[in-house]
Amino acid sequence: MLRDNIQKALAPLQLEQVAVGDYAKTGCHLDATAAPEQMPAVAEALLSLGCFLESLTCLHYPEHFTLVYHFANFQELCRLAVHVKVPFDQEAPSISHIYPGANWYEREAYDLYGIRFTGHPDLRRILLPFDADFHPLLKKFGESPADA
Amino acid sequence: MLERGLEEKTYVLNLGPQHPSTHGVLRVELEMEGEFIIKADPDIGYGHRGHEHMAENRTYAQFLPNMGRVDYLHALAYNQCYCMGVEKLLELQVPERAEYIRVITAELNRLTSHFLWVGAYLMDLGAFTPFLYCFDDREQVLDLLDYLTGSRLTYCFYRFGGVPVDIDDDFTAGCRKFIQRLRGRWVDYDNLVTKNVIFIHRTRDVGVITQEQCIKYGLTGPMVRGSGIPYDIRKSEPYSAYPAFDFEIPIGERGDVMDRYLVRMREMEQSLRIIEQALDKLPAGPIMAEKIPKRLKPAAGEVYAAVETARGEFGCYIVSAGDTKPYRIKLRVPSFGNLSILPEIAVDTLVADLVAILGSIDVVVPEIDR
Amino acid sequence: METKTGAPLIHFGLLEEALNLARANSLWPLTFGLACCAIEMMAAGAARFDLDRFGAGVFRPSPRQCDLMIVAGTISKKMGPAVVRLWEQMPAPKWVIAMGNCAISGGPFYYPDQYAIIPGADLIIPVDVYVPGCPPRPEGLIEGILVLEEKITQRGRLRKFRDVTG
Repeated sequence: MLRDNIQKALAPLQLEQVAVGDYAKTGCHLDATAAPEQMPAVAEALLSLGCFLESLTCLHYPEHFTLVYHFANFQELCRLAVHVKVPFDQEAPSISHIYPGANWYEREAYDLYGIRFTGHPDLRRILLPFDADFHPLLKKFGESPADA
Repeated sequence: MLERGLEEKTYVLNLGPQHPSTHGVLRVELEMEGEFIIKADPDIGYGHRGHEHMAENRTYAQFLPNMGRVDYLHALAYNQCYCMGVEKLLELQVPERAEYIRVITAELNRLTSHFLWVGAYLMDLGAFTPFLYCFDDREQVLDLLDYLTGSRLTYCFYRFGGVPVDIDDDFTAGCRKFIQRLRGRWVDYDNLVTKNVIFIHRTRDVGVITQEQCIKYGLTGPMVRGSGIPYDIRKSEPYSAYPAFDFEIPIGERGDVMDRYLVRMREMEQSLRIIEQALDKLPAGPIMAEKIPKRLKPAAGEVYAAVETARGEFGCYIVSAGDTKPYRIKLRVPSFGNLSILPEIAVDTLVADLVAILGSIDVVVPEIDR
Repeated sequence: METKTGAPLIHFGLLEEALNLARANSLWPLTFGLACCAIEMMAAGAARFDLDRFGAGVFRPSPRQCDLMIVAGTISKKMGPAVVRLWEQMPAPKWVIAMGNCAISGGPFYYPDQYAIIPGADLIIPVDVYVPGCPPRPEGLIEGILVLEEKITQRGRLRKFRDVTG
């Protein structure tokens, strides 16, 4: 079973948490939490199992960013979500040398949030004009939220 | 590679953002040597409208019309994915008849998207007649969908918990008549396009994508099916009413442009099969779930919903903080990943081949830019 | 914005009317679809809604050969300078149709915190005809082109050879 293979492959990396997810509720079979520097090792382990990077999302919380990587597989259905907490002034390691498809996703995260990736070959804006000086999706915490 | 002349000079050529064959506002910066491309760098963002920022400023119901504008060619599948995600968060159960109606309309929409792709792609390659044929067939489908939903292009037909309008006998009869007519037209398309010598020369062995590249770049949709991987979310991660239907997943062998074209053409026939079976087996019953809360306030949590659109896998990752507005919605669009392979497969090709390859990726630029 | 499309120095009367009639009946649009409305523009040029019968079916990709720019879709801030440059590259006399709600006033994407779009084509280029809709039906675009023809010839649609009052 792919889910067991993934759990076995991630076990030696000693991630903070690897748990079976509730697929019917969240759409993911496995939920993992990792530290930023463990991410390249996670990506290599998953590439050796034939998984592809489905999506890379950045979330802005009051204390830190959270990067959520979704991995899936062509052969067998098993979706893995990896949550990575990145403090504000820290850079996350890039996985674009392992998954070239992550190149654009990381550029997008930088464009929308300002989070930087070490080792990225070409970290520049991708959606906004090149001379834009703001990151649009950063939330304004502390202001009163207006309810609809 | 041909023998180069005395002096080798490279120059930079801009393809777009206004160009007949870029399918929207895409700019590709080409570093070229004669007619050969040394480097191709897509520059996106000319259609950025801030969908994800709007998502954080809108309630769940107010964001629903946006989904029809993300990819306007297969708008119903995007509506379906977003509704699926929110229904999972709200724990709503969609009645079976509504699921069947969603499948029928989404498959009809897939047909319109593929028809437009074939017409526009062949216009890129220089043929004008298939454009008119395809648009004629597309108008027949749009008549049906217009009758049911009221819109021709940017649909917003599904609601959380079902569909608002039921299908009647006129619609069913129209569908069956259309399916019969279209089955007779495949011969015309074969003779006009598939067996066309110029088309074969321009698309065979052009833009080959290997299975390894599919995994590394996270490609989905006809791109991977053309390379021989039978990955279709409707079969590998069935959703809605798809488990009840019997259909095949056409795959190619070589991963070139011709294979991707053939995969899309055969997918259209499979869509017709699905629509027929859905009309035959359509169950009676309600079309909206009972007890939908007036104020949608899903519990805190996250959900990832995926559907198979005409372009590939569309995933909607919704993070809810327990509020009426989502905390974050990430739209994982297929064209974003599909286009990111262009720099790799465009190296050492002719500009004319680049047009063929770019068209075969089937990008919709406003979906990439969101 | 300074342009050189001001009134001519010498009026030739009947000759100008004949020229305007010719210009109105053979508008050459620029293939300039930005977003969803582009598809309805293509459908207007296709077999069922045929723009060719109004003389406006010759879509040219180069702005140097066109006299009509149909802004079909949302103009993002990154695209704005390109729109202006294309408009400036078109030779006079030229006209602009703003097709769709996005080109008229930002459409469904206009809200107070919007950072990415230019809410309306008339903020950057002069617009002659507005065609509302999201997207407007191809018949709507055809009506817009016919209204533009009226504007060019200064005459009513059906009675091009007689004066129209009211």
